[in-house]
Amino acid sequence: MAATLCVKLPLKQGWLPLTQCIRHGSKAVTRHKRPMHFLKKKLLAVTEYIPPKPVAAPGAYPSQTERVQEDNGLVLLMKRDLRNLFQDCKMVAVLQNNSISADDMIMLRHRLLKYGITVKFFPNQVMRSFLSDSVYYNMVPLFVGPTVLFVSKEPKVKEMLTTLRTSPQMTLLGACVDHTLLSAQGIASYSKLPSVTVVQGELVSGLTMLTSRTAGMLQHHPAHLSALLQQYVKQQSPDSNTEAASKAEEAT
Amino acid sequence: MISLMKSVVGGLTAICRAHQHGPLYNHLKVLAAGVKTFEIPPDYSGVVLPEKSKLKFLNKVPNLKKARRQMKKLLDIQGPAKAANTFTSGQYAIVAMGGGYLHWGHLEMMRLTINRKMDPRTTFARWRINAPCKPVTRKGLGQRMGGGKGAIDHYVTPVRYGRLIVEVGGKVELGEVQHILTEVAKKLPFPAKVMSRESLAELHQKQQDMEGNNQNPWTFKQIAEGNMLGIRKVLSPFDVRYQGRFTGKFHFPWRV
Repeated sequence: MAATLCVKLPLKQGWLPLTQCIRHGSKAVTRHKRPMHFLKKKLLAVTEYIPPKPVAAPGAYPSQTERVQEDNGLVLLMKRDLRNLFQDCKMVAVLQNNSISADDMIMLRHRLLKYGITVKFFPNQVMRSFLSDSVYYNMVPLFVGPTVLFVSKEPKVKEMLTTLRTSPQMTLLGACVDHTLLSAQGIASYSKLPSVTVVQGELVSGLTMLTSRTAGMLQHHPAHLSALLQQYVKQQSPDSNTEAASKAEEAT
Repeated sequence: MISLMKSVVGGLTAICRAHQHGPLYNHLKVLAAGVKTFEIPPDYSGVVLPEKSKLKFLNKVPNLKKARRQMKKLLDIQGPAKAANTFTSGQYAIVAMGGGYLHWGHLEMMRLTINRKMDPRTTFARWRINAPCKPVTRKGLGQRMGGGKGAIDHYVTPVRYGRLIVEVGGKVELGEVQHILTEVAKKLPFPAKVMSRESLAELHQKQQDMEGNNQNPWTFKQIAEGNMLGIRKVLSPFDVRYQGRFTGKFHFPWRV
């Protein structure tokens, strides 16, 4: 006890000791960590290990050197199919497939097949690599996510739209009809157009109407025709116009 | 080689055809898919097994002319190990992750468990610690305090951080001996790990990398040696030497 607590002896009577020296020597107990001085704790906190900032994970940035991947046989086959498809078919519609069930898909296929429209699936990667080389490269942004192709040899847009009305899982994104790219609204307006035969009939009827009217006029009395021609000449010549106008002014 | 294989396969198919005629067997083919490529087993050609592969018995009490009582000498278990902290002959070892004392009971436990469970024809084990030599004194039961230092009760082996306790080697992989060593390691009076040569080197490398990559501009060494703000008042020479990585027998692996 005397060793651990050494008190400075008072020099005078009635004077209390100011300083006490207490020995905090070596402790034999090694079971636990001894309580640390607060300053030492601070020092340890200040000098903690700070790891360097982690560098970007591999693959976070696109590689500087582009990797050219050779197409395998299956991809080449699919590309050839696509080339034939775009050559043969006049209508290629791109649709988004929002998890349609297998039964619904079968029904839809069946209904489309009535009009000769077939449903085709191609991997987007193949599709994009094919389109980027072809003249239809503007269709590339359509191929994101699950996409389906509706393909037919004849542009049967109206029939396709009526069949699609029953399956809300399919969303029309765009189409290539008669080598023309159409948006979804463009397809809708295209479907409202009358058929080619009707338009041709209208044209023919218009043309025939002109000739028939000329013929009819020729069959009228010659005096009527001459009067009409005289009037026409009068309207064409500018002098007569002014004279007529001056006469009219004098008369008033 | 390939041509040979082809000829063999062709011969097989020819035999098949010869035996089994008819349209049913036309589809028979030799299936080459599914042939597995096995890993090459490790090469143990350079491993030499010693004559006595088992752990030696260690004396409970050192053979001394006169047993002398010692001081506690806590420095025996403080700080990192200076000796036996690298591999010599084996591949796998129990490594102390803190300081402590092993007494004879621990040594016997390790010896019996390892000797019983290991395969002495392919494996050998070696002590990397010495027999207990440090005396620990106790006073008798029911004795009053005072009256001087007690009698020597038992002997212990002091172990510092990073010391290998037992080394295991031979024609074995880590998976074969790991369960034995972990079973032993968790019974020791200090945190201990089973390590191979590679993992120990990796640990050292990791420590070195941490020292090299430290982004903190303030290091313990700089502050302590410069005695900034009179910090040496609360630091011991032990702290200055090990830069706060040790407190007594305890090691802080996250500090550099």
